[in-house]
Amino acid sequence: MSISHRQFRAKRVYEVTPRGGQRELRLSDRIVELGDQEFDWYQKVRSWLPSIRGLADLSKDLAMDEAKVPKFLEALEKSGLLYRVESPDKPMTGLEFHGAFSGILSSWLSEAFEHPFWERMMSGRGSARLFTGWLIELYHYTKNANRHMPLSCAQSHEKPIKQLRAKHYAEEWNHYHYFMKSLKALGFTEPQIADSVPLPMTLALSNFMRQAARHDVLAYSVCSAVLEGTTTDRGTYSPYYQKSADLYGVPQDAVTPIFAHLDLDVKYQHSDLFRDILETVPVMPPERASLVLDYGHQLVEHIWLWTDNIEKYYQVDSNLVPRRPFDVVLD
Amino acid sequence: MSALPSVSTVAERPLLKRTVAVNRQPGRVVLQHLRDEIELEGAAAQLFSKMEAQLDGKTPVDAIAAGLKETPARLRTLLGQLEKAGVVSLLSANDDAKLTTGMEFYAIHRERCLYWLEDVYRHPLWEKIVTGKASRAQVLGFAFEKYHYIEAAFEHMGIAASNASPEMMPHLARHFIEEYTHGDIYRRGLRSLFPDDIILHSQPLPSTRALVNYLNECAARSSFAYYAGNELLQMTENTGDSDAGKSVDDFYGAMRKHYPYTDKLIDSFIAHTKADQALGHADAFVLMCESVPPLTRREVNDALNVAKNMAEHLVLFMDGIDTFYDRFATVPRLPCDLKSE
Repeated sequence: MSISHRQFRAKRVYEVTPRGGQRELRLSDRIVELGDQEFDWYQKVRSWLPSIRGLADLSKDLAMDEAKVPKFLEALEKSGLLYRVESPDKPMTGLEFHGAFSGILSSWLSEAFEHPFWERMMSGRGSARLFTGWLIELYHYTKNANRHMPLSCAQSHEKPIKQLRAKHYAEEWNHYHYFMKSLKALGFTEPQIADSVPLPMTLALSNFMRQAARHDVLAYSVCSAVLEGTTTDRGTYSPYYQKSADLYGVPQDAVTPIFAHLDLDVKYQHSDLFRDILETVPVMPPERASLVLDYGHQLVEHIWLWTDNIEKYYQVDSNLVPRRPFDVVLD
Repeated sequence: MSALPSVSTVAERPLLKRTVAVNRQPGRVVLQHLRDEIELEGAAAQLFSKMEAQLDGKTPVDAIAAGLKETPARLRTLLGQLEKAGVVSLLSANDDAKLTTGMEFYAIHRERCLYWLEDVYRHPLWEKIVTGKASRAQVLGFAFEKYHYIEAAFEHMGIAASNASPEMMPHLARHFIEEYTHGDIYRRGLRSLFPDDIILHSQPLPSTRALVNYLNECAARSSFAYYAGNELLQMTENTGDSDAGKSVDDFYGAMRKHYPYTDKLIDSFIAHTKADQALGHADAFVLMCESVPPLTRREVNDALNVAKNMAEHLVLFMDGIDTFYDRFATVPRLPCDLKSE
């Protein structure tokens, strides 16, 4: 049987950990162990898969007889590291899709929050300035919900989904006040914050949500679900806020409103919203399911780069906090 | 009879611009603003130091003079020179009513954009590529992200043309029609390494998406502000003058040396730059500025804020390539599906 790179794609690996002369590759549903040479071969296969190079080139890269290469690819497939593109997916119900999404959400969240910023903040190598910056950008992000939540209602076509999205908006639209309260406790005035300018990546998050809202309400809803997934229980965020408060002398008055906001999200059960929406979807063709999933993962990557943007800007002491808009007369 | 005071009778309140850095040295004061340095010496330096604290935009010139026991005329002479040099604004109640012509705007825009673009040119990724320190993922990622950005002309230029104000419509229509094929120039380069369907289905980084989405949002909202932002991006391509052209040539030369597999990609980058230059895009913004009606302060600020944000998005674009491909070295990036996760 002939085999080509167009038949396979690589599964997402969330983490690679060296352990006793081996590498542990963490997938969403399993851990695969590879020796040094196998890992090297696997990496070569990964970069060969999307290329224009033929099987003979891969065989040369792997220093492996060309006849043996297909067997190696099949072994990688069996281990779960590769999958076949051509095997068709079947349509699924909305709830089946929710099951698949729930199975990978924790891997996605670990990817979103593996940025070194979090470890830095929790280990005492952060600063009150970085904590403040994160809060300012959260304020903007939360306020910008008004740019995408109502748009998702406007772009929905099914009454039950419109209803659920509108209810969510009604419950969330003014939550930026919680962050304003925190920032006031840190000494900022209301106009200073309200008139400030978000970082480009903060704006990018809400622009991406607007893009999703225009494309497909389920694509929008999966993004919303990824974000709500971070607030399912207090255990996710509370340690960060409390520890930062302790480490960097953040007054308790600045942290209390954030906990109140998290508690409200839990009270409204916003993390169940995606399930409620999908319950109304009788069937999802595989193309739509893939599109929706892809939006969710793009949101995960947005969160990672958002964190990066916040760290890079606020760690520089000479950068303005909060950021103000440009004025041709004043600047 | 108008109830508004005429310009000459309005009390002017001097403001040292918020973006000016003041450096004091023995016997002189150096004011840094954008890419300029203004040096004051002797009596001028002394007088500036005396009044600096009151250059807050709230105190009229006469009141400052009275407080310092100076003549208003002496203060006005120095303040007039500082205003001309661009470091002081003389605020008045008429500021919001003042209109700026399109060509005045063009000059302000160009000066500011050259300054805002400095952060883009200083980005460490350039140095990494020139010295061969960038990884294969960063170099190929750079090519893919450039492709995605150029290919997105379909999105933002299409949105801009379809939402254009009457005076901007011919410019924006022409721009779309001239640019929409340019993504294919980059795609030709990428095809030397990757199959066409992979290139077409590949996905930009969130930071590239951020740049494209920002252009899309501006294009839908304000034709002029959109193009003021787009012009900043265009300024990085229009390397008409010989110095800038040489820097670009040196960059590509170093890239070819350290990453020989990018030969065809670089050919495509150069082909695109030449295609842009041949279209005379460097002149497009002047023509637009000539044709717009005078702008209010609010419109000027809107368009300049878009340009400034665009520069920040461009830094983010570079940052994404540098940081994201360093941490997640998969290139090209393909969208996920039901089995990939």
